[in-house]
Amino acid sequence: MRTRITLTLVALLGAASLTACGDSEQATAAPPDTLRYVTVGSPATASNDPHGGLGNESDAVRFALMYDVLTGQGPDGRTQPRLAESWKPDRSLTKWQFALRRDATFSDGRPVRAADVLYSLRRIDRKAAENYGRLAAFDLAASRVVDDHTVEVVSRKPFAEVPRALESMTFIVPEGSDDFTAAVPGSGPFTLVSNDAQSAVLERRDGWWGTAPSLRRIEVRAVADPQARAQAVLSGQADVAASIAPAAARQAEGRTDLSLVRRPAVTMYPFVMRTDRKPFDDPRVREAFKLAADRPALVQATFLGYGQPQDDLLAPADPSAPQGLTPRTRDVAKARQFLTDAGQGDGLTVTLHTTTSYPGMDTAATLFASQLKEIGVTAEVKMTPPDTYFTTVWGQQDFYTGYFGGIPFFDVARVSLISGSPTNETAWKRPEFDAALDKALGEPDEGVRNRVLGTLQQQVRDEGGYVVWGTGDGLDLTRSGVQGLPTGAGFGRLFIDQVRLSR
Amino acid sequence: MILRALVRAVLLLVGVSVMVFAATEALPGDAAEARTAGRATAAQLAEMRAATGLDAAVWRRYLEWAAGLLRGDAGVSLISGRPVADVIGQRLPATAALAGAALLVTVPLMLAWAWPAGAGSPAGRLVAAVVTATAAVPQVVVAAALTAVFAGMLAWFPPISLLPADGRPPGLSVLALPTLSLALPAAAYGAMLLRGLVADIVARPYVRDARRRGLPGWRIAAVYVGPFLVAPALRVLAVVAGGLIAATAVVEVMFGYAGLGELLVGAVANRDVPVVQAGAMLAAVAVVLGMLAADLVTVRTDPRRAMT
Repeated sequence: MRTRITLTLVALLGAASLTACGDSEQATAAPPDTLRYVTVGSPATASNDPHGGLGNESDAVRFALMYDVLTGQGPDGRTQPRLAESWKPDRSLTKWQFALRRDATFSDGRPVRAADVLYSLRRIDRKAAENYGRLAAFDLAASRVVDDHTVEVVSRKPFAEVPRALESMTFIVPEGSDDFTAAVPGSGPFTLVSNDAQSAVLERRDGWWGTAPSLRRIEVRAVADPQARAQAVLSGQADVAASIAPAAARQAEGRTDLSLVRRPAVTMYPFVMRTDRKPFDDPRVREAFKLAADRPALVQATFLGYGQPQDDLLAPADPSAPQGLTPRTRDVAKARQFLTDAGQGDGLTVTLHTTTSYPGMDTAATLFASQLKEIGVTAEVKMTPPDTYFTTVWGQQDFYTGYFGGIPFFDVARVSLISGSPTNETAWKRPEFDAALDKALGEPDEGVRNRVLGTLQQQVRDEGGYVVWGTGDGLDLTRSGVQGLPTGAGFGRLFIDQVRLSR
Repeated sequence: MILRALVRAVLLLVGVSVMVFAATEALPGDAAEARTAGRATAAQLAEMRAATGLDAAVWRRYLEWAAGLLRGDAGVSLISGRPVADVIGQRLPATAALAGAALLVTVPLMLAWAWPAGAGSPAGRLVAAVVTATAAVPQVVVAAALTAVFAGMLAWFPPISLLPADGRPPGLSVLALPTLSLALPAAAYGAMLLRGLVADIVARPYVRDARRRGLPGWRIAAVYVGPFLVAPALRVLAVVAGGLIAATAVVEVMFGYAGLGELLVGAVANRDVPVVQAGAMLAAVAVVLGMLAADLVTVRTDPRRAMT
């Protein structure tokens, strides 16, 4: 017995001393111009193709460093020039000419030409099934190269928001690139040095047309588990952990060597009601469900307070969102009255579907079910695994926990509110809404356009099938000294080329 | 005998490939649906299935996959379009390093635990109890406990195991916690299987006789007990190694370690059949080879062979 204990001790000491050796070769701190960035990523979906679904965040961050995009998102959230220096629509707002920078080159030395841009846009459109029809508003067959540095993009209908619709995900690759088993050259601020099982190493490219990044090297690592991502920063193995869970953010609070970057209103898990099926075809039932929600409590439980209660607006951060609405607060008595009026006063039973795809979706559904109980509705919560939720529940069931990720209102409308959309999940089918939306998007005056879009958004809020109870913040954990991380919504978060380090 | 073992190994591999294929097939949904997350129209789905060959009958897809494998072609990922050999090849070294390190720790630990646990003294019974308890603890719990102690309280090792960004092999500090998380339950399980055997051998007359003659314990272990343990220990090891390789999936995800296990978990969720098949076959080959080696050693060390 004693021998065994001695042996165990020897083994442990041996392991510890070996580790010490390992440490000296390993933990050389990163030089001050290297950013170690850890983000969401699954090796199973890792891809070199910047025109697909962009579902793997670690890939998307790499693309945003390697490739130029036509237009980008400014710090104020407005569209700003990137590869396109300027743009001009024709009178009908269907033909937009984009003037490209003349000093952009791919990493292999070739200049970036209009033909490369048109080729890339057409390729994105060809992969519509994977990227949710991102360029569905455009007729790319009719679009054309005007000259080497001018491309004309044609929209199917008059469309005043074309520069914004082309923002941040129009990654430009050399014309003819079709084999993406390995990375193809890009014209962005960084070039790829190596890309292995977990990490991509990128180095600053001298001669990029834009403001030279202060970072020389960026290491992007894919780590699937949110807790593990946070641990990477907590233990000093990384400088930034993108998209951590609220619980980990709480854990890091009070540590002076760390800071938390909050990207407001990034995530929402609205409860989705099918307006063409019982019992949700009755507007009074929908109204009752909206009045049953205790919004602050849902935000507290789901996002641990890292978020804001919302008022059923689907794009509350959009510049067109209506302002000064009377907030919809919880009113159990009124909700019960609506149910009684709708003939559902003596006990309504529904099934509320949810999943664990995004952290907190299950918590939100469970809590809402208990809130519904108080207006006399029995909601049975049914869990579906993440791998089949979006194919068997999303867009099909009558009542479920949905997901939106901070996209502009016109995108929400295109995906979910137009009669002809295959993903119109609430069956919001109103020809007059479609017509009004078309008219608004073709309105050249921004003030007028936003006013009309705001009215439309308010109409969905009041009569539609979404209970948008709150939004969660995107949470990035950084070591102190990391500055300039993007805080904008949508794809703007991917552009980390101007991040600075002070140590 | 050797021929029979070989045939059995091949049959086993074929069986595994059919079962894994059927199991992935039985899951609801396919790669085209996973890739489009509910947003594609029926026509778009049909087009994607035709492009990736997913529209063919199950048996046909299986046979094509098997024929490809025999030609040395593991196919193309249904999700990213990259060659499966590349996808797996990028991840294999990390998992091989982790599983290898875990086995290196497992073997001596398993023997060190089996010996006193089989000896039957009061102390031995205590060891047996501890070993049985450890064997029953899932890797997740072991990993969490090890992280709390060695990364949290003592701060000897990092709490997660990121691979070096420039492709260098992982250092020992990176491997330490995942290795122990795999090795401790595996060694305990192996020791539990071996314990009874040790008890049997120790009870044999010539061992008792050697004890009476006052030979030292290490000599009894090395000369009178050890040789009879080699073959069964190898067989136990093959089984333990199988469990250990399967457990890498859980441990890799927990430590953010970029190996095959993490890849497999994601590939199953995305119904990426060629990647799942290749990963499962690799694990199966490793286990079958281990068992084959155990069989061969049994043949060589079988006392009956010396007699005939």
